[in-house]
Amino acid sequence: MLVDIEIDAREQTPSWIAYGTPLFAIAAALAVSVVALVAIGVNPIAAYVEMFLRPFGTVATISNVLVRATPLILVGLGVYLPMKAGLWNIGAEGQLLAGAIVGTWIAINVTLPQLLVIPVILFGSAIAGGLWAFIPAWLRAKWGISEIITTLLFTFIAADIQLYLVRGPMQGGSGGFPQTELLPEAAEFPAIPGTRAHVGLLVALLIVVLVYVAMNRTRFGFRVNFVGSNADAAEQAGMSRYRVYLLTLVAGGALAGLAGISEIAGNQSRLHASFAPGYGYTAVPIALLGRNGVFRMLLAALFFALLFVGGNRVTVAMEVPSAIIDIVQALVILFLITAEFFQRYRLSVSIGRRDDGRSIRGTEVTTDD
Amino acid sequence: MTDASFLIGLADATVSASTVLILAGLGELISERAGILNLGVEGMILVGALSGVVATVMTGSYWIGFAVGSICGLLTATIHAFLCISLKADQAISGIMLTLLGTGVTTYFGQQWASAQFTGFPDRTLPVIGGLLVEIPLLGPTVFEGPATDFVALGLVVAVWWLLTRTNLGLEMISVGEDPETADTMGIDVFRMRYLAVLIGGLLAGAAGAHLSLAFNGIWTNNIAAGQGWIAVALVIFARWRPGRLLFGAYLFGLFNSLRLRSQSLDLALGPESPLAGLLNPVIEFLLNPAIMSMYPYIVTLVVLVATIVLRRDDDSAQPAALVQAYSREAD
Repeated sequence: MLVDIEIDAREQTPSWIAYGTPLFAIAAALAVSVVALVAIGVNPIAAYVEMFLRPFGTVATISNVLVRATPLILVGLGVYLPMKAGLWNIGAEGQLLAGAIVGTWIAINVTLPQLLVIPVILFGSAIAGGLWAFIPAWLRAKWGISEIITTLLFTFIAADIQLYLVRGPMQGGSGGFPQTELLPEAAEFPAIPGTRAHVGLLVALLIVVLVYVAMNRTRFGFRVNFVGSNADAAEQAGMSRYRVYLLTLVAGGALAGLAGISEIAGNQSRLHASFAPGYGYTAVPIALLGRNGVFRMLLAALFFALLFVGGNRVTVAMEVPSAIIDIVQALVILFLITAEFFQRYRLSVSIGRRDDGRSIRGTEVTTDD
Repeated sequence: MTDASFLIGLADATVSASTVLILAGLGELISERAGILNLGVEGMILVGALSGVVATVMTGSYWIGFAVGSICGLLTATIHAFLCISLKADQAISGIMLTLLGTGVTTYFGQQWASAQFTGFPDRTLPVIGGLLVEIPLLGPTVFEGPATDFVALGLVVAVWWLLTRTNLGLEMISVGEDPETADTMGIDVFRMRYLAVLIGGLLAGAAGAHLSLAFNGIWTNNIAAGQGWIAVALVIFARWRPGRLLFGAYLFGLFNSLRLRSQSLDLALGPESPLAGLLNPVIEFLLNPAIMSMYPYIVTLVVLVATIVLRRDDDSAQPAALVQAYSREAD
């Protein structure tokens, strides 16, 4: 008996698959993580209830999720935007750190009324993040050097500079800890009344809308999408790949920079050695999970914020190591890229029958909306 | 300040520190020569390090631990190979997520092994000729005395060089990284060749991890790799995909690292009588700061990466042409 496995490229991805893939990836990741929970003797159902339902218990716990979501939305956009042009901003973490460092420096050293100082801080952080992305962007646009490697290298350099600064020139506060002094009150982002969430969230949501408009209603967005789906055709149509690469990656860096300062000025009140638990790396899963539209990216950022908050809850309540957050994050994306294969290809298994033996075809079907 | 004991200590530390980079870097080099970028090395090192410790504690044999660590690195690489080669997933994403998964899993399960006691690789010399070699001043004790894994790594540099330049298998591997379509028409199984390269890469990354926990540190700690996997990725670019240069690069990066750890005892400041002391001493102090020194490997790699492309000095051993490109057999 012959078993024939045939793989065909799909002409069109059915919409239930396109919409269902991210949900499948999350479900599969949580299903596999059950093994990790059971292995340390934790009831997985109780753990998931604590992680994903309890954070919705009160206004205070919901606002915790929103506080976490704020930098994740911004830095997620910082990966999403270049991704639309076909670039991988793997090093958003470095741009986030650059924004946090410069923003903190301005907050501590520039004395202005609150209404003035906060825009100055935001502006400075965005510039810093953008500049940190500029060299990789330029190297990619001008010389074709992989932005994956260069943005990563720049991240490691930024992390070392941050360590140098909080141990040396910017070190402040009592006890000699590797941290800066507290930000002055005027520089702290005001809280949204009744919650712990801060104006950074409003800034983030505003930028989400702006990015949506820019990507879907302007010529700039059209160009980015065109270059992202077929750079050579776009070039032939008279669009400058150089400009699109430079603009999207630098803009992505600026957004990541904003994420950095919003976490400091909105939440932690000072720059310290480990203020960002890899938000810049989480941005990659966020952008991937929400790659088909900026509002889906927003949902993905909220999901990962929930994962962070929920992960900390089970760490405290059930002594589950907080590394469960990394495990779930990685599994979600590993299942997502597995599932995406089945978005692009159809697998059919037939027994006892042999046909023309077509093999894999490389036709890519984009599922953008 | 530059007395002999300082130099010997420095050389010794450099050679020891470079073994992890040699092993992981050779693995990455093989994988990339076949066209697959593996950003999961850091995760594979961690998996190898923890599983090596677990196996050593359970069996009492560090050689079994080393083998188990290597194999667990290989198993992690299997996921990468399956996703990138069979499913044509994005190599950068798959690799980064495997690093995240490796970090997560080893931190999650590693806590209870952090205090585990075991006998790791002892320092030793080569059999027969070892006694003579160690007598060589400076070079002898630094290069020819160390854990067995140090010698394994050095042997592998030659083996990988020989594999890639002198054997059919190696040339076929390189051909699928340069031009998979042509290789395919010549009858080379592109998929099998790429799988093989990625799996060897994982095996060596796992070996690097097992060396780290069983020979270099002699203990498991969370996040024991501390970014060395990333340095190995940078090292391959620095070495322009050549095993010989990789050895040189590993020593250079190892030297940066051991200088950084000894930066407290480095006193290169100019004396007060020097006219430039006021100007240069702050610069020297800045450059010798441990945090600043730990970015040197990345800066050097960036410079090499940019310089070779901008100056168009690309020779035959430059970046594999089909790196990061998935291969499908086009039917049209």
